[in-house]
Amino acid sequence: MYGVCAFFLYMTLQLPKSAQIYPLCVIALLAGLTTLHVINMIIGALREGVTNGLENFSGFVPSQFFTLLAMIVIYIASMPYVGFYASSVVFMALSLLFLRVKIWQIILSEIAVFALVYCAFTLFLEVRLPSGTLWGV
Amino acid sequence: MTETLSLMGMGFVNALYPVNLLAMTAGVTIGIVIGCLPGLSAAMGVALLLPMTFSMEASTGMIMLGAIYCGAIFGGSISAILIHTPGTPASAATAIEGYQMTLKGQAGKALGTACIASFFGGLLSCISLYFFAPILGQLAMKFGSPEYFWLSIFGLTIIAGVSSKSMVKGLMSGALGLLLSTIGMDPMQGVKRFMFGQSSLYEGINVTCALIGLFSMSQALVLAEAKIKQRAEAAKFKDRMLLTKSELKEIAPTIGRSWIIGNLIGILPGAGASIACFMGYNTARQFSKRKELFGHGSYEGVAGSEAANNAVTGGSLIPMLTLGIPGESVTAVLMGGLIIQGLTPGPNLFVGETAKMTYTFFAGFVLIQFFMLGIGLLGCRGFAHIARLSDAILIPSVTILCVVGSFAIHQNYVDVVIMLIFGVIGWLSRKFGLNNAAIVLALILGPIGEKGLRRSLLLSGGDPSILFSTPVCWVLIALCVLGVLSPVLMDRMTSKAEE
Repeated sequence: MYGVCAFFLYMTLQLPKSAQIYPLCVIALLAGLTTLHVINMIIGALREGVTNGLENFSGFVPSQFFTLLAMIVIYIASMPYVGFYASSVVFMALSLLFLRVKIWQIILSEIAVFALVYCAFTLFLEVRLPSGTLWGV
Repeated sequence: MTETLSLMGMGFVNALYPVNLLAMTAGVTIGIVIGCLPGLSAAMGVALLLPMTFSMEASTGMIMLGAIYCGAIFGGSISAILIHTPGTPASAATAIEGYQMTLKGQAGKALGTACIASFFGGLLSCISLYFFAPILGQLAMKFGSPEYFWLSIFGLTIIAGVSSKSMVKGLMSGALGLLLSTIGMDPMQGVKRFMFGQSSLYEGINVTCALIGLFSMSQALVLAEAKIKQRAEAAKFKDRMLLTKSELKEIAPTIGRSWIIGNLIGILPGAGASIACFMGYNTARQFSKRKELFGHGSYEGVAGSEAANNAVTGGSLIPMLTLGIPGESVTAVLMGGLIIQGLTPGPNLFVGETAKMTYTFFAGFVLIQFFMLGIGLLGCRGFAHIARLSDAILIPSVTILCVVGSFAIHQNYVDVVIMLIFGVIGWLSRKFGLNNAAIVLALILGPIGEKGLRRSLLLSGGDPSILFSTPVCWVLIALCVLGVLSPVLMDRMTSKAEE
């Protein structure tokens, strides 16, 4: 939170003086509340002892999470070049394979999801999804 | 009065158009599917399907989103009863008695009770929607810039205070949302703020992208972090789902009480269906003539919980539609739906041509309850199988729908990137106990509050006393104080209900 405040503070100071007031007030509010939270944490730690603070991460599987997150980032980054349908088909197949889903379930899931996307977005909403610069379209 | 009655009548005529009936059918079905899948929430479902309503008429789009909302709240009870895993937090109390009934071979009766109680709870909640919404709307018509400033502060304090375990963290979430809402053009001076050279950020962060990211993408990330487990097999059932006359008579008072509880909780910003279900269940137990059945499969308990959580739906729409303050995450997403349609939530929804849309939505909301009853009773057996769908399949499917949904808004790739950023923010915020609903609310209310504050100061030549100049301002200030203090009250309510 302090990092967010510092980042926005740096950018606010680049603005004209008259436009700085409101963002500065909000940054001060966020920094103040964060400080209050830090004080609360310190008081809590003094009263009840220090905990590792990882209670919310119980059951967290780092290898699975970060691999899937990386796949999502690569999928979104490649979409303008490869096109929506091509990148989505590959992303879905790879992530399902990674999660050890059976082949017939992968095929069924792909058919269901892309039928839904095609009918709802391409046919009904007439959205022109990225077709990919790689293919020269 | 006559005008209101004619608007109500016209609303029903419009709501009965085939396109609206189709939207209700599709919305309720999708909602029940989303609701019965543990791990997916009502807010996530509404956010994910928001882009699909762009090309629809405003009333049809809102009817569809309302149908998803009601369907999802009911759908949560299916997995709660059959696999002892509430599909949504709103059905947590239903799982207690519902699963015990399943173990006794009464799953059909439990599902039937849930369906009927949900129907009556939702239907009765429409009464308060029709009664209170126009009154509050008329009151809000008298609001000027200072009042709008305090109104936005009230909205922020109450949701930030009530909906988080820690009030400071709730307020921090609100402040973070406020900071993010400053991205875009300065509303008074036209200065570009924090736009990173992206012209698409000219009007600020697209609320729909933020909603999809915070509620849907972050949910996919939450599913991705834990080991994928096989879900328990849904219990097969052969018993009758319909209740007898005497059984209906027995649960009628329970439904009545739960309706009042759920409705009041719905109107209160910050409190939601997850609190209402426990309070409804608890009250059902207190007033029951057969208390010994509670904990061993009481259908009165199922009725109390389900009527209360569905009664929240109509009530929760009131502050959002009349004052522009969404009381919880689903209504914040529904508010996003209204904004996308070019409508400003608040008193203007009850004036002129827009009033027709509003009353069509109200009538649609009444009809949705009938669709929920029909689809729920007929499709329970089928929905039970869907409840077993693995998280492994949900993760990439939800991600793809988030990507295509956010792209569809302006057919702009930057929106997809913003959605992903908000997805990560939403995931981090869940992990560190912050509140996504408060972030979204601040994102929506931030510009309203900023405009109200700066316009007021401009009108008064910089004199801040204008912010305290009317009795309405003082009422709103008092409400803000109450909003900050409300966590104490809400903590007591929750712990009492959970006892």
